[in-house]
Amino acid sequence: MLTLSRVSRRYGETVALSGVDFVVPENTYMSLLGASGSGKTTLLRLIAGFEEPDQGEISIDGDRIDGQPSHLRDIGFVFQNFALFPHLTVAENVAFGLRYRAHAPLTKEAEIKDRTEDMMALVGLSGFGHRAVSAISGGQRQRVALARTLVCEPRIVLLDEPLGALDANLRARMCDELKAIRERLGVSFLHVTGSETEALTMGDKVAVLADGRIMQSDAPDMLFNQPGNAEAARHLNAWNIFEAGLCRGDVSSGTIAVRFDQMDVSAEGAAPQGRPALGAKYLTGEFNGPTALSFFRADDGTLLQVIDHLSQPRLPDLVEGQRYDIHFAPQALRQFHGAA
Amino acid sequence: MESRILRPTLALYTACFLLFLYGPMIVLAILSFQSIDGGPQFPIRDWSIYWYEHLLGLAETSRVSQLPVGESLIRSIVLAFMTTVVSTVLGVMSAEAFRTKFKGSGPAFYLIILGMMVPGVLVGLGMALLSNTLDLGRAWWGTSFVLHVVYTYPFAFLVMLAIFNRFDRTVEEASLSLGVSPAQTFRRVTFPIIFPGVLSAMLFSFTLSYDEFARTLFTAGRDLTLPLAIYGTFSVEIYPNLFAFGVLTTLFSFTLLVIYGLLMKRFTSKASRYKGQEDA
Repeated sequence: MLTLSRVSRRYGETVALSGVDFVVPENTYMSLLGASGSGKTTLLRLIAGFEEPDQGEISIDGDRIDGQPSHLRDIGFVFQNFALFPHLTVAENVAFGLRYRAHAPLTKEAEIKDRTEDMMALVGLSGFGHRAVSAISGGQRQRVALARTLVCEPRIVLLDEPLGALDANLRARMCDELKAIRERLGVSFLHVTGSETEALTMGDKVAVLADGRIMQSDAPDMLFNQPGNAEAARHLNAWNIFEAGLCRGDVSSGTIAVRFDQMDVSAEGAAPQGRPALGAKYLTGEFNGPTALSFFRADDGTLLQVIDHLSQPRLPDLVEGQRYDIHFAPQALRQFHGAA
Repeated sequence: MESRILRPTLALYTACFLLFLYGPMIVLAILSFQSIDGGPQFPIRDWSIYWYEHLLGLAETSRVSQLPVGESLIRSIVLAFMTTVVSTVLGVMSAEAFRTKFKGSGPAFYLIILGMMVPGVLVGLGMALLSNTLDLGRAWWGTSFVLHVVYTYPFAFLVMLAIFNRFDRTVEEASLSLGVSPAQTFRRVTFPIIFPGVLSAMLFSFTLSYDEFARTLFTAGRDLTLPLAIYGTFSVEIYPNLFAFGVLTTLFSFTLLVIYGLLMKRFTSKASRYKGQEDA
């Protein structure tokens, strides 16, 4: 179990992390969702020991690891650019840690070969061992990076946007494979990403990092359906967040959120009784294949999005620049306390 | 249209430039095949390899004494080799240090670079005076060696700085995260990747030290290095055996260059197939 408590890190005047409290349980696929610049890479680098926190503690199973040199922490790291050793072959890359690590390196070539080949088979690289790392595709490099880390059996594996360098098809496939490989090995993964779909798909648990703090850490469906605060909701890219005062009808005050797919649109003044409604101008639509997004501008300038599914259309024909009533069921609303 | 005139013009210009660049060497090479009764100038009376035999002590005794280069050649090679090792090691270490900003890194940088900027005659003279003051003997392996290092180290340092500038630090971090110690990481990851740069730094150091003159002139003491020995023969009279020697040393340098080229090719062949990781 990896535990971070009150971890802070500053770069001059810029605060990257301020008091992060975070737990990655045993045998868990943990996604960490954050926008670029939210400090998610910094967080991984602190855990790996490439940088040290200004304050706070990092520990694994109760042993403090902050302050320890990185090579003694027994933590795997998969880089966004894979960071393969360009002068070694695929097999040499995978065997690297076993052969040269400071703690209990393997000396028998036969054992190194066996373990390397087992791991390459697990990630689907059998038969590629003799290739130069420059002579394989992006997805295969990703597998080499993963195999190289996993073969050392680290206590936890940190993945820094591991799918960011892959194209979309490959990304979807690697998602499944990453999950399957992790389940087989039973080691915890901490996967950092800026993509909410990736975070929700992959994670047994998903944490949202914003403003240098963990905003919420929950199971994916829990997080998606009941974000605990506006920041968490904003990162899911599925919630309209706006002031309750915009609505007609009996609505509580403060900042509220309604999911894109739980909002309906009708002509101005035609909103059904009993449903909170607000007036907004239709801006434009965006066709995404199975779904269509419509963008509206509320009276105070807030941008609202309504999602419509192709098979079950529920929106009227919309004219750009015209005003409409947007309404939703009272129970669809989520209210946040405190500042947004 | 433009390239029809421009390209041939540029080609001609380049050809002329190369001819001009290598003209002296070509003349020297031709004259080295002068016959026994010919002088160090045109016309060639007869083609022969007499002066090569003379240089190597294979010719029967003649009125011209043998070129006193044997020992000085050895000295120069040994000195250049010592300089190469020390300068390259220092260059790699200090460039590694400059990868992270440290207090006083700015002044330190300029102090290192100064070694190749200051006039050699002045440094040589200064070193001679200093060794006199401290009552230290001057020798090619002592005072001259120090100045050769001061002179060539900045070149090695700059070469390595450029190499580290393009170096992707994450591969080192990857190695650390696999449990490999910093020292092993340098040996197994960093050094193999920067090795082509190290070779270049070595080549720089060697050639600069091998034909260094001004700094050595004042500090070599009694035993001369090759450039000093050759200069010394000028004061007597010049014979074509000097040209023969010039051709042989050029061949030696060329051999070094070929070795460098082959090593480079060997160590960068893997890297050139390495197309970077973003083209996934």
